Amino acid sequence: MRRKLVFVSIMLFAAVILSGCVGAVNWPSLAADEQTAYLANGQFVYALNSSDGTERWHYPLQADSKLTFYSTPVVTQEGLVIIGSSGINHSLIAVNPQKFPDTLPAPVGGVQRFFCSIGLAICPQPLEVEEWIFSEAKDSWVAGPLALDGKLFAPNADGNLYVLDLKDGRLLEKITLDGDSNRPNRLWAQPTTDGERVFVTSLDHSVYAIDIETHKIIWHEGLGGAIPGGVILASDGMLYAGSLSKQLERFDPATGAHEPVLDTKGWIWGTPVAEGDNLYFSDVDGYFYSYNTKEQKLNWEPVQPDSAITASPLAQSDNVLLATESGNVYAVDNTGKVVLWYDEPREGKAYTTPVSSDGHVLIAYLESDYFLLALNEEGRQAWTFPSQ
Amino acid sequence: MKNTTNKTQTQVKQPELPQGLSRESLKTVAVIGILVLAFLRWNDVIAILINAMIFIYSLVGQNFGIALILFTILIRVITWPLNAQQMKGAAAMQELQNDKEWQAIQKKYAKDREKLAQEQMRIYRERGINPFGSCLPTLVQFPILFALIPSITYAIGSTPLSILNLSRSVYSFQDVAALVPLNSKFLWMDLGLPERTLLFGLSIPILALTVALTTYIQTKLTMPPSANPNDQAAATGKMMSIYMPIMLYFFSVNYASGLSVYFVISNILSIIQYAMMGKVNWRNLLPGGQKK
Repeated sequence: MRRKLVFVSIMLFAAVILSGCVGAVNWPSLAADEQTAYLANGQFVYALNSSDGTERWHYPLQADSKLTFYSTPVVTQEGLVIIGSSGINHSLIAVNPQKFPDTLPAPVGGVQRFFCSIGLAICPQPLEVEEWIFSEAKDSWVAGPLALDGKLFAPNADGNLYVLDLKDGRLLEKITLDGDSNRPNRLWAQPTTDGERVFVTSLDHSVYAIDIETHKIIWHEGLGGAIPGGVILASDGMLYAGSLSKQLERFDPATGAHEPVLDTKGWIWGTPVAEGDNLYFSDVDGYFYSYNTKEQKLNWEPVQPDSAITASPLAQSDNVLLATESGNVYAVDNTGKVVLWYDEPREGKAYTTPVSSDGHVLIAYLESDYFLLALNEEGRQAWTFPSQ
Repeated sequence: MKNTTNKTQTQVKQPELPQGLSRESLKTVAVIGILVLAFLRWNDVIAILINAMIFIYSLVGQNFGIALILFTILIRVITWPLNAQQMKGAAAMQELQNDKEWQAIQKKYAKDREKLAQEQMRIYRERGINPFGSCLPTLVQFPILFALIPSITYAIGSTPLSILNLSRSVYSFQDVAALVPLNSKFLWMDLGLPERTLLFGLSIPILALTVALTTYIQTKLTMPPSANPNDQAAATGKMMSIYMPIMLYFFSVNYASGLSVYFVISNILSIIQYAMMGKVNWRNLLPGGQKK
């Protein structure tokens, strides 16, 4: 009897261990302004000083099993930080950094937390740092919203674009984007605007254009594959989007008329980046492309540094930086010459688009000892978070 | 010519094994080999299951629920011989528990474990029973069950990372770019998420409850009757009929509902297979039915 119990227990344990091989739920997201980096990484969103990596605040104060953060935080002109949860609680939260005290109360853990909950211990009052919370979405927030003219255009994985009043989080309009009803219409990318319309991509293989004022869908066009990244408005006034169909597609923003302009080797994941007349983008087969929109041709043959690239590139004044899945960072100059800029020694994986802030390039890692790495102008480690 | 044929037939019937190596030990080695291979090539096991599911999905009008049901049937068909062997092994062990000679040696050598083991082995040998006959086929099926969890999670892929992982598991002959993301809506459920149904203002996990119920019924129906009050196998079976539904309930509450669909269909097919082999004890479902 005991042996059989042991056998059953071992099998259950093995089931849990092996099924746990699914790994992390998703990769972190990163945003920055001039002096602060915002990292959404699992149970917390961190605000860090870009100069030295010290923590300014994190949200929530205590880990909450209902909240998980992977969508890119968005900082509005009003100074609010908009963060969306991918946990059971699908809330979109406007955090006001001004409301954080200078010194954060120490988190309460384990036994003490239990005693707090039953009133047998004195515990810090929860911080009320939220300006508002929007809780009507039905699925995860994977993409960051677009803040525009006092409104927030927030795409959710439930297939709806929520238009909210930025001041109080009030729902102004719920726009259902279901161009292809046979496919899940998850919205995973931050919308883009040309000042008149908001452009939204969907995993249902469609690009949508929505009127900023009326919130009506002006057009929607289908591509040959899901579009996990967003669209980019290039210097030629046209929209460009990549998809899993391995094609870069050009759109007329007014009508939605579109045509493929380039075949790629692999799935295009990240949003292309526009710099002058050039578009920079990558694919998950690890190729990096530089496409001239004026001449409508590649500047040079695609280069393949080492592994898959899901992140968008970071365009700098004299080169473009690429973070690859291997965790390495490469610099590509305007002739297509690739240089290993940072050699990641810890086997962390980089899927997140790097950002630049306060003289540092910031790289977010998955499955690494640290969540965030800051590199100086020479590609040398400046600091890590948490500090090593 | 005739002699040669006879000789060949004799060889087929009784292939000679190296000295000291029995058929049973060969089977055990084979099972261990399969398990080790599955563990070492874990990602390949997952990839095979994912590709099978996606292939079926592309054939049935891109409905993942129907694809999953057909996939479950396929898995049951493939593992049918293993299940049949498991059932026979379990039945043989059950019969042995009620055997007078078996019970006699249990009493006689209760304090001499070494002698008891020798006698048990003698009886196993004499009656051609493999004591692992019921658990070895089960062991072979475990990798499939364990691999199903990540397979379904990757296939339905509700996060960017899972879709990226999916792209690496799908074989080149499948046009995954056109299929992704898979349509995970089935009946009232999203198969990529744990199922909850709002009833009278309460969020009720109907599918998880169905998993628990069908598991309970399946375990009860397939439990052989036992007249021996000290029957360890019967006691274990009774214990399993309680713990398994509870365990699978919690599993189903927390994991993607696609996995729960697999459990429900698998339980139903298991009952059908037992019924076809004449091993279903309907009386077990009645209160006190097992005592008869």
